Amino acid sequence: MSTMSRRRFVATSTAGLAGILAPRIPPAVGQQREISYLCWNNFAPLMDKKLAEIGTRFTKDTGIKLKIDHIAHAQQPAKYAAEVQTQSGHDLVEMRMHFPWLYEPQLVDVSDLVAQLEKQYGAAISSAKETAHVRGVWRAVPQYHGMFVATYREDLFKKASLKIPDTWEDLYVAGKELKKMGHPVGIPISQNYDTISTAGPILWSFGGLEVDKDGKTVRINSPATEQMLEWYKKMFKDAMDPEVLSWTDASNNESIQQGKSGWIHNPVSAYLIAKQKKLPTADLINHHRTPGGPAGRHDTDVPRHIGIWKFSKNVEPAKEFIKYILGKREVYDEYIMSADAFNLPTYDKLKEHPVLKTDPKYAALSGEGVQYHAYGWPAPPSDKVQLITNSFILPNMVAKAVTGTPTKESVAWAEREMKKILAG
Amino acid sequence: MGKRKFWNRVLMHVLLVPFLLFAIFPFFHMTLTSLKSDRELYDRKAVPLLIQQGPTLEHYSKLLWETAFITWTKNSLIVTFIATAVSLVVATIAAYALARLKFFAVGSFGTGIFVTYLVPTSLLFLPLAQVVNWLGLADSKWALVVTYPTFLVPFCTWLLMGYFRTVPKEVEECAMVDGATRIQALWRIVLPIAIPGLVCAALFAFTLSWNEFIYALTFTSSSDQITASVGVTSELIRGDIYFWGQLMAGAVLASVPIVILYVFFLDYYVSGLTAGAVK
Amino acid sequence: MAISTFPVTAHARLPWRARVREMLDRERILGPLFTSPAMILIVLLVAYPFCMALYFSLSNAFIGRPSHFVGLRNFINLWDSDAFQQTFQNAFVFTGFAIAFKIVLGISLALLLNQQLWFKRMIRGMVLLPWVIPTALSVLGWQWMFNSSYSVVNWTGIALGIMDPPGPNWLGQKYYAMTAVVAVNVWRGLPFFAITILAGLVSIPKELYEAAEADGAGPWARFWYVTLPLLKGVLAIVVLFSTIFTFSDFNIVYQLTHGGPINSTHLFATLSRQIGLESGRLGEGAAISLYLFPVLMFVVYAQLKYVRKQAY
Repeated sequence: MSTMSRRRFVATSTAGLAGILAPRIPPAVGQQREISYLCWNNFAPLMDKKLAEIGTRFTKDTGIKLKIDHIAHAQQPAKYAAEVQTQSGHDLVEMRMHFPWLYEPQLVDVSDLVAQLEKQYGAAISSAKETAHVRGVWRAVPQYHGMFVATYREDLFKKASLKIPDTWEDLYVAGKELKKMGHPVGIPISQNYDTISTAGPILWSFGGLEVDKDGKTVRINSPATEQMLEWYKKMFKDAMDPEVLSWTDASNNESIQQGKSGWIHNPVSAYLIAKQKKLPTADLINHHRTPGGPAGRHDTDVPRHIGIWKFSKNVEPAKEFIKYILGKREVYDEYIMSADAFNLPTYDKLKEHPVLKTDPKYAALSGEGVQYHAYGWPAPPSDKVQLITNSFILPNMVAKAVTGTPTKESVAWAEREMKKILAG
Repeated sequence: MGKRKFWNRVLMHVLLVPFLLFAIFPFFHMTLTSLKSDRELYDRKAVPLLIQQGPTLEHYSKLLWETAFITWTKNSLIVTFIATAVSLVVATIAAYALARLKFFAVGSFGTGIFVTYLVPTSLLFLPLAQVVNWLGLADSKWALVVTYPTFLVPFCTWLLMGYFRTVPKEVEECAMVDGATRIQALWRIVLPIAIPGLVCAALFAFTLSWNEFIYALTFTSSSDQITASVGVTSELIRGDIYFWGQLMAGAVLASVPIVILYVFFLDYYVSGLTAGAVK
Repeated sequence: MAISTFPVTAHARLPWRARVREMLDRERILGPLFTSPAMILIVLLVAYPFCMALYFSLSNAFIGRPSHFVGLRNFINLWDSDAFQQTFQNAFVFTGFAIAFKIVLGISLALLLNQQLWFKRMIRGMVLLPWVIPTALSVLGWQWMFNSSYSVVNWTGIALGIMDPPGPNWLGQKYYAMTAVVAVNVWRGLPFFAITILAGLVSIPKELYEAAEADGAGPWARFWYVTLPLLKGVLAIVVLFSTIFTFSDFNIVYQLTHGGPINSTHLFATLSRQIGLESGRLGEGAAISLYLFPVLMFVVYAQLKYVRKQAY
C-alpha cells in the first residue's frame, strides 16, 4: 500500500464527510417561492397523475414552485408523527378522516378558505364537517370523499332471481342462496379498517353506537349491539366463508374480481380495477346503495382533506395552492373527473356530479337516503375515540362472537376495553 | 467402500432437499408470480405452480419505466455502500482497540457497544428523526448513511474483535520490534490477515442496510431519495389494491445485487465467520 | 478524527510529528482514540434518542402537544389492557418457538452442509437466499403465498391430499396465524443459524472425531460427545443475536397479520406502533417498546455470562 493511495482515501473520505455534515444552505428568499405537498398514494392512481399536471400549471400561473411527494396510506401516521416531532417537512399534507382532530394543535386555521368554498359550492357534507371542523375551527379543507357502497354480481342475482337487498336482513336471505351457488358474501372480520367500515353501518342501522355524543359514555352494551352480533353470526355460518377472518383491506376486492364473492361492501375500487385490468368480472359487477335496518340507512364515508402545518414558513403560498385546485370550478372538476368516481366532491351543490353520469354503474353512488358518517359516530372524534377505532375493538368483538364466544360475553368484553380507554 | 461412500453422499443430498425447497420455494413463487399476466393471477382456477397463459414481462417493464424503481435502487446502493464502508472503518479501529489495547474503561466500553444492540429501532426512530433534523438531513438519503451505522457498528465490532484475537500477538510484536508503529503494524500485518473477517463483516453490514425498512421509511419521503424496499411497498400497495405482479417483480429485482455479492464472497463469508464468531 | 492520523504517522519527519507518533504508540492514548468514533456515534445516535424515548415513556406525550411527566403510570396502566397482556404472552411464544426451530433445523442443516457435497457453492448460495432478500419484500411474497383465496400452500396441500379443501385459513385463525408468522421468521433466520453453526463445525479439529471413532463411538455418540459440546460457544452467540432480533421483530407481523386475529400475533413492536403512532399516544407507545428492554437485558446478561465462560 503506498502512502499516495492512502492519502487519496483520506482526501475523498473527508470530502464525503464534509458533504454530509455541511449545513443545508437555505434557498434564496424573495423571487422563488416554493411549497411542498405530502399527498397519499391515491387509490385511483390517475388522480395522482392529474395532480402533478395541475401542479405544473399552478407553478406556471403563479410562479410558486410546488413539490409533490406521495406516501402509502399505511405509512402516513409514522411520517406525520416524525414531521410534527421535528417541526419540519412539508407545508401541505393530505389528511384522511379524523387526522385533523389528531394533529389539531399543529394545523393552521383554514376557516377562511372553507367559508369561500362553501359560498361557491354549498355547505361541506356532514362527514367532512364532523372530521375537519375541530372545536369550531376548520383545521383542514375538505377535498373529496370516497364512500362505501354495496358491490354485487348482477348476473348471479338475476340467475337465482334474488332481490337486491334493501336491508341487512334481506342480505342474509340473498347471501344464503349465494353461498349455495359457491359465491359467498365477502365481509371481512379481521384487524383492518374495511371491517370497521362495514361493522359501523350495521351497528348504526340496528340503532347501536360505540360511545355517546358526549364522547365520555360507553354505549356499546345494548340490545342493538346484540342484534347486530346475532346477524353477523348467522351470516358467518350460512352466507360467508371463514376466510374473511384473515382478510386484508384488499381481500374483498380481490375476491369479487376473481369471481368468488357474490356481494361485498367496499368503495368502488373493486369495479374500477376490474375495469382497468380488463378482468372478465368487470361486466358482471354492479352497485346498489348500502342496506339499511330498523334505525335507518347508514354508511361509512372517508372524507379527505388538505391541511397546512403550523410550522410551515409558506402558509400563504400553500393557501394559494388550495384555492387554485379547489376554488376554481373547472380545475376542481378536472381533478375529480380523473378519479373515475372513486373520489367525489365534498360539497352539497356538487353532489350530483357529472362524473356519476360517465358510467351507468355509478348511479348508486349518489347514495340517496343514506346517512354518511366517519368512524366512531356519533361521538366526536377525540383522540380517545380514535384509539378505540385503532385498537380494532369493534372488529375483535365481532370476531369473538362469530368464533364461539357467547354474544353477551363479547359485548361485555368490548365495553370493558372501551371503558378502559376512555378512563386512561 | 467407494460405493458406500457414494450412496452416503447421495443420501446427504436427498436429506438436503426439504431444506432447499423451504429456502427456495418462496423466491421461486415470487418469480413465477412476477411473470404471470394479471388475468391469470386473478384466475381462481389457475394452477399456482405453473404459467399457463404465457409468461409476460409486463410487470417488469411497468416497474422499470412507469415508476422510479431505477432511482430507488440507485439510492439503495449508494446508502448501502457508504454506510457499510463507514461502519467498517469505525468498527475495525474500535475492534482493534478493544481486542488488543489496554486502556481506561475498555471493558465497560465493550459492554456498552453490546447493549446498543438491544435498543429496538421501533423505539428509537422518532427521537432519532429529531437528531436527523438537527443535522440538516431531513428527507435525504444521507440521513440513512448517518443512522445505519448505529446498528452496523456494534455487530461488526463484535465480529472483528473475535477475529483480531485470533491473530497471534507475537506477529504484531515482531513488526513493532523492527521499528514499525502500532498503526503500521495494524495496517500492514493485522488487517491483511483479517481480510476474511473484514469481508464477512462487510457482507453482513451490506445485507442489514440493504434490508432496513423503518428508518428508510421515516427519514426519507421524496421519490428521488427513498430506497427500493420503501419505494416498492409505498408505490405498489394502494390501500385496498395490491399490484401483486409488480410487487413481486420488485422483490426479485431488489434481491439480485445482493445475491451476486454473496455468490462472489460466499467462501470468505463462511471462513470469516469460522474465525470471527467461533473463536 | 482517527482517520486523519494515518498520514501524520506515515510522514513522521518533524519533531512534533515524532511526538505524535510516539503518543499514538501508547495504548492509553491510542485506545480511546480508536474507540471514539464508535463512541460518538453511539452517544449521539443511540444514547440520546434512547433517553428521549425513556422520557416519552414517563410522560403523557401525544404527537404535537405539550407533555407532562406522569411517572410510571403508562407502564402500570398497560397491564389493564387485554391487548397488552396478549402481546406479552405472544412475544414469548413467538420467540420461544422460532428460536427452538431455528436451533434444531439450523444444526441439522449445518451438519448436512458440512458433508462432501457436489454443488457445494450453489447449495450454500441457495440456503442463504432467504437471509438476503429484503425482508419488507419477501414478507409480501409470503403474504401472497398465504392469501386466503390464492394460497399456493393450501393448493399444494390439497393437491397432495394432506389438507381438506379449502385448507386452513393461515392468517385468520388464532393458532394458524401464529404458526404462519413463526414459520416466516424461521425461514428468514435459518440461514444465519446454519451458516454460523457451519462455521463452528468447520473449526472442530478432525483429530477429535478420529480419536472418538478409534474409541468405538458411533455417529450419534460422536455428535453428542464431540460436536455438541464444542458447538456450545457458537450456539450461545447465535441464540443471543437471534433472540434479540426475534423478540423485537416488526416487519413480519406488521405485514402479514397486522397483529390479528384478535391481537393473537401482536408483538411489542407492532402494538407499540399501533398505539404510539397510529393513535398518537407516544408515551404509551414508548412504554410498550421499553417492556422489551428488561427482558432482553436479562437474556443478554445470562448469555454473556455463559459465553464469556465458554469462549474466554
